[in-house]
Amino acid sequence: MGPNGEFRVSDIEEIINNHRENGRNGSLMAVLEEIQAQYRYLPRDAMILVSERLGVPLSQTYSVATFYNAFSLKPKGKHIINVCLGTACHVRGSHRVLEHIEKKLHIKPGETSKDREFTLETVNCLGACALGPVVVVDGVYSGQMNPTKADALLEEIPSNVGER
Amino acid sequence: MPKLHMPSDLERLSESLSDARDPNRPCITVCGGTGCRVYGSEDVLEAFRLELERQKLDSTVDLMPTGCHGFCEQGPVVAIWPQGIFYPRVRTDDVGEIISETVVGGKIVDRLVYVDPGSRQRIAYEKDIPFYQKQKRVLLDQNGYIDPSKIEDYIALDGYKALSKALHQISPEQVIEEITRSDLRGRGGAGFLTGVKWGLCRKAPGDVKYIICNADEGDPGAYMDRSIMEGNPHRVLEGMIIGAYAIGAHKGFVYIRNEYPLAVKHLRTAITQAEEYGLLGENILDSGFDFTVEIRLGSGAFVCGEETALMASIEDRIGEPRPRPPYPTESGLWGKPTNINNVETWANVPLIVGRGADWFLQLGTEQSGGTKIFSVVGNVNNTGLVEVPIGTPLGDIVFDIGGGIPKGKNFKAAQLGGPSGGCIPREHLNVPIDYTTLQELGAIMGSGGMVICDDDTCMVELARFFLNFVQEESCGKCVPCRVGTKIMLEVVTRITQGQGQEGDVEYLIELGEEIKRSSLCGLGQTAPNPVLSTIRYFRDEYEAHIRDKRCPAGVCQDLVYSPCQNECPAGQNVPAYVSLIGEGRFEEALEVILDRNPFPSVCGRVCDHPCEAKCRRSQIDDPVATRALKRFAADYMAAEGIPSAIYDRLRVETDGQKPKVAIVGSGPAGLSCAYFLARLGYQPTVFEKLPVAGGMLAVGIPEYRLPKDVLKREIEFIEKMGVEIRTEVSIGEDVTIPELYQQGYEAIFIGVGAHHGRKLNIPGETLDGVVDAVDFLRVVALSGHRMWVGRRVAVLGGGNAAIDAARTALRLGADEVTIVYRRTKNEMPAQRSEIEDAVAEGVKLELLATPAQAISQNGGIKGLECLRMCLGEFDRSGRRRPEPVEDSRFRLDVDMVISAIGQTPDTTSLLSSLELNRDGTIKVDKDGRTSVPYIFAGGDAVTGPATVIWAIAAGERAAVAIDQYLSKDDNRVYPWRETRPPDTPFDPEAEPAPYGRLETTKLASDERRCSFAEVEAVCIREAAVQEALRCLRCDYREEQATEVPTETGVPALAEA
Repeated sequence: MGPNGEFRVSDIEEIINNHRENGRNGSLMAVLEEIQAQYRYLPRDAMILVSERLGVPLSQTYSVATFYNAFSLKPKGKHIINVCLGTACHVRGSHRVLEHIEKKLHIKPGETSKDREFTLETVNCLGACALGPVVVVDGVYSGQMNPTKADALLEEIPSNVGER
Repeated sequence: MPKLHMPSDLERLSESLSDARDPNRPCITVCGGTGCRVYGSEDVLEAFRLELERQKLDSTVDLMPTGCHGFCEQGPVVAIWPQGIFYPRVRTDDVGEIISETVVGGKIVDRLVYVDPGSRQRIAYEKDIPFYQKQKRVLLDQNGYIDPSKIEDYIALDGYKALSKALHQISPEQVIEEITRSDLRGRGGAGFLTGVKWGLCRKAPGDVKYIICNADEGDPGAYMDRSIMEGNPHRVLEGMIIGAYAIGAHKGFVYIRNEYPLAVKHLRTAITQAEEYGLLGENILDSGFDFTVEIRLGSGAFVCGEETALMASIEDRIGEPRPRPPYPTESGLWGKPTNINNVETWANVPLIVGRGADWFLQLGTEQSGGTKIFSVVGNVNNTGLVEVPIGTPLGDIVFDIGGGIPKGKNFKAAQLGGPSGGCIPREHLNVPIDYTTLQELGAIMGSGGMVICDDDTCMVELARFFLNFVQEESCGKCVPCRVGTKIMLEVVTRITQGQGQEGDVEYLIELGEEIKRSSLCGLGQTAPNPVLSTIRYFRDEYEAHIRDKRCPAGVCQDLVYSPCQNECPAGQNVPAYVSLIGEGRFEEALEVILDRNPFPSVCGRVCDHPCEAKCRRSQIDDPVATRALKRFAADYMAAEGIPSAIYDRLRVETDGQKPKVAIVGSGPAGLSCAYFLARLGYQPTVFEKLPVAGGMLAVGIPEYRLPKDVLKREIEFIEKMGVEIRTEVSIGEDVTIPELYQQGYEAIFIGVGAHHGRKLNIPGETLDGVVDAVDFLRVVALSGHRMWVGRRVAVLGGGNAAIDAARTALRLGADEVTIVYRRTKNEMPAQRSEIEDAVAEGVKLELLATPAQAISQNGGIKGLECLRMCLGEFDRSGRRRPEPVEDSRFRLDVDMVISAIGQTPDTTSLLSSLELNRDGTIKVDKDGRTSVPYIFAGGDAVTGPATVIWAIAAGERAAVAIDQYLSKDDNRVYPWRETRPPDTPFDPEAEPAPYGRLETTKLASDERRCSFAEVEAVCIREAAVQEALRCLRCDYREEQATEVPTETGVPALAEA
């Protein structure tokens, strides 16, 4: 990745080459997953490059990129807040937690705050049902959330991430 | 690491590894499943490592991070071996003590021991914990004993021996035969017979075949596959290799969700290790069989759990399903024959091949063998993974293993199978869970997600939740699913917002059936199930939303002013009076209460406060003490003197020219009906048979709970509103109903209560010394507490009447009072606090016992023979049915028996043409209209014994119905029915008040048992204000500034 997070052709080529080594029958999704992991979104030119190198029509790359929830075409915030809305979390009140966070950050699920600090997402189940409601901030799980605990969680975010 | 060439190599390795594991060597296992990790198990593991090093024990004590133990609610879970001591919720601070006390000292650290939420028992050993005891863990068992990142641990416990057996001792056909014979059904949801599928794939023409492990566990609320892969990845791999051998495939894929990073990691490690040992790759164990496995990550599309969509995804295309046939077994991945099974199915394979189909078959039912893992989540005490033989009754899972419902709430339904499944309500707790029975009930086994719903779950909202889910996850390829689910979602959403229309339910059923019939894949074909199933069992909830604009569970925001107000049968505006008390505006608070309830002092003392059970403050600590606050407002204002202006403000109409109305019975129902009629300008006359007014309030509830002068004060208030009460007038004897009608009473309300005790139907019940609780309490009240009581008294029953009778008998001088109840304390219908108070005063509980015979002596009795009971199957109320234990007769030496097993109304003196229910109660519609146009009824005479607040609610509703009947105008507005938000200020950003619930003061128990003085004291002003500020103000809306009154519905009367 470039110094400001912009995408570099050499990085993308490296990802593609890595997958070609052990790849057999096409590895489009695996390549896109890795780009997504590195940039937190799929830059437009990166998708074009991937299509060219893998010999996959751009239309297919685009359809895959827009079909699966794991891919995003828009840059995401520095911190990703993911509220689990699985059934177990739902019956224990996760919607109230989500509403609370929406109000607090002034963004809806799928949106990124204006300052590009936060992206709010929802997920349909993390399989951590015993801990519901679950909120994941930058990959760190927190269980048995309620609006008050969510406040505390949001306040901790900068330091929380700095340590990792 | 040496490659294993021969089966004997594996045998030798297994033996040597097994020998190295000294069963008596101390070992600490720390659960490393995702659940426990969230609670900090990695830190705990590290703390153990450091502490063992520090104490130089690291060479003598093993430390093992394991996979998920299943008891995720209790994480981080630690077990100490060889004793098998279990410590839940271990923190890093506890580590030192565990090592020095338990590991070195062999002692149990009492403060860390698990406490069973049901029995409150402390249980030290894992094997004794009910959650584990009733399970049959064959798939999950090793999760607690092996480090999932070490293949050696798996091999030491006979891992890969089934593979070796398959490769060297039996042919592929024999493997398939064994799997077929075992009846193993696909654990992913559809339940297709695994052996049959394998056979088809084996027979399919073609040299290249694939197998796939479907680990795209997408059902929200299910996570057993994740736990298996995290905790025991080699078992899945071994199953896959055996399957590949049987089918003739040389390449396998594991398609796994990228939301499961730990499972991916463990599986990757496992594949590498298996390859290194020669258990994967070329010429496995020298058998000539080659097989490799590749991991593919799912990218967050639920539909990819569908097999054809999953294969499209592996082929790097979007995950759209395609029509079948051809089935994957003929033409799957890249057009080649492909066999897909889910994780749990593959994990079963080594067990069946290793231990034989017969072993597997004896685990399940006749229809289906083996076990099934359920993730029991939602509103249940013991959340976690539960593995039980197929055919285990639902109730056993929810109550015995799951520990029942938290916070004393009731089980409402279990939702099985996620978005494709359905719910099972409490009437079917006995149902053995297997593939066929579930289908009959409209649910499915699915992948095993079991979400437990309590009273606080709105089934309409739950259906909306699942619809929203499938609607978002629908791939959009076929119209019925794409458009149909969207329309269903719109309709259900409308219903939850109070915009439902007549016919919506029928439309949902029709559309749902059509979508099921015409959708392309499993997602669409099952998407309507959650709606259809909730309609099947909870149609009344849909109708409450549509007709009454009411959400009975108190969930749907647009229909719920606040959960407490929504739950109160009388619709009390709890947030308003609570916040007014918080402001010190007590007169206004009282006025708010009086607007819906003429008995604030009574309810402030004896109400069973359903509002508190719904209080959201209990998510932080405990509910707001609304009853105590109501009492404070009432008592405080009574002392100050209720200003006459309150009467004027409560009066809706002052026109005195209203028709005459008669009220029969002066209990809470009758007096409430009279009160609301008086406010509308009527001057109702109340006829009471007894010399005192108040009904059960006067002659049922004892003085120590409700002093006579308090009741008198409240009745005087009602009289002042314009109600006349005539005591000692017996309907049927002094005057009949038709006579009243002829005297010009144009409408008559019947609220005669239920004062007739049910018969015991045991020998000796007519003997002197056997009395009925209602009669007993009435005589005690009317005689001024002068009544004979036995020295040793048995009270039969578990309701409030039983507790009242028992505590009264004690106060009258009985030496010993024993309550005999046929179920357990948990099932007693009496108020919890009443039971606790009775026990504190010395009342004994003889639980799980039923009376069989009263034994006579000199005309009186000298004893009561009882039978011991045990709890059997679940009845339709969702409680376990008590059943007598054979040869269990025992005798209680008593000289008095008070029977409190239920009451019925005495309707013999009423009108013979009045239609009754089968149990003798009066038949009414939801507003109290009877079969005779001018007669209305409510209270216990309609519902059977119920609570004061329900009677008040029934009185109000009948008053409105009477007014509508007499005015012949159905469109009149009743101002008290508009719930107005209070004008008290509220800062939604402020932190909730940081202190706990108000504790009321009670008389000491030894003082209580010898007097009828009131037990509970009113709180002081400062305490009341403080308590009121604990309210979270669920009534608050941002748009509240506009002050729009909310029209809230009223709950339907409880079924008799």
